[in-house]
Amino acid sequence: MQNKDERSAFDEVFLPYLPEAYRLAQWLAGSASDAEDIVQEAALRAYRGIKGFGAVNARAWSLAIVRNTAVSWLTKNRPRKVVYMNDLSAAEQQELELEGLYGTRIETPEDVALFKADAADIEGALAQLPAQFREVIVLREINQMNYRDIAEITNVPIGTVMSRLSRGRQLLVGLLEKRK
Amino acid sequence: MNPSLTESDELELSAYCDGELDAASISRFERRMREDALLKARYDRLMSLRQAIRALPQNDVPSSLHARIGARLDAERLDVERPSNVVAPRRHGWSFQALAASAVLGAVISSSVMVTMDRYAQQDALAGEVVAGHIRGLLATEPFDIASSDRHTVKPWFTARLPESPQVPDLAAQGFNLLGGRVDVIGRNPVATIVYKHAAHTISLTTLRAGQSVPDETVAGYNVRSWRDANFTYVAVSDLPPADLAAFERAFGSAEPAPEIK
Repeated sequence: MQNKDERSAFDEVFLPYLPEAYRLAQWLAGSASDAEDIVQEAALRAYRGIKGFGAVNARAWSLAIVRNTAVSWLTKNRPRKVVYMNDLSAAEQQELELEGLYGTRIETPEDVALFKADAADIEGALAQLPAQFREVIVLREINQMNYRDIAEITNVPIGTVMSRLSRGRQLLVGLLEKRK
Repeated sequence: MNPSLTESDELELSAYCDGELDAASISRFERRMREDALLKARYDRLMSLRQAIRALPQNDVPSSLHARIGARLDAERLDVERPSNVVAPRRHGWSFQALAASAVLGAVISSSVMVTMDRYAQQDALAGEVVAGHIRGLLATEPFDIASSDRHTVKPWFTARLPESPQVPDLAAQGFNLLGGRVDVIGRNPVATIVYKHAAHTISLTTLRAGQSVPDETVAGYNVRSWRDANFTYVAVSDLPPADLAAFERAFGSAEPAPEIK
């Protein structure tokens, strides 16, 4: 009987966010087929954990599971493609947070013209971003979450969300300028 | 130099675009944007980046995924209901209390956006004060209070005036000639500033209490470069290009500590 309840709780809590979950997984993984595996795994985790759901914010709860599943799935199955912060030493993390990609200071392009980048350019640039910058940008721009929810989902303080978003955008601008 | 924003402007711009600033900060930022063409141009660029990202084609959930999930959950349920399986299914240690707490603490947490902005603003203010000390030095008859190319004169001069004073290394061999020292007042604290000369350029090296943070940036046309050790936060200010300031940092960092002179 309990299982029946769990299933309906799952349908109420997780299922409405399935399209968002899929979108998030897709941009985190950079692949539609990987996203399907990640979302399926996340759905199973959500189902198993549904009793622990505290009825606060179903959307943040669901997407946190998807994000965490994506991190562990990608670390396991695509270790070379995705580097997560936790794999880096403290010094490397600091360098990445403060100085951007590959230890170089972010050069803000002189040309502040607007973008005429096409979808392929944007996708390519997003894929090149280190994972911790990509995830905050995807959560903010694609899922349109606020800072508090992003902090909750990625499990870092709001100040870190702010600086990662700001840095991530500067990195994206730099990458897109280079592609021109 | 490329026109670039300070770190705190970058953060504020991002937070403004994301609707995360409080009302007072929004109107202040919008006022600044009306007067600052660079800031406005950067805002426009961020918004066009946003539009480009949001315009990316999004795939709908394949119906096969719905079916896969349904089937997987059915299998999970059968697994649990099997009589031999009396143990509850493995649970993941999700911390949902944290989510509940965040609802209660929501007001506090969202204010941390402003706290972060303040922290960056303070760092900028600190850099501004250090640069102001450098400018005052350049405007005075001499950029120092004690003139000496002998570190054994400068160091005791500091020691006599300040609770803590830095090492004063002789960097002449690396091209940085010691001119002397002065006391700057940063906030309400007197701090030691060592003055070096490199070709025709004056470098002020201000030594702040350890643990403070000053961003590397350009203030009023002067380049600021900061680094730390266990004793001090060092802030070098000069019209030298950033690469030369980096060389100065390396020279200072690798200098032999002077023998203690009482």
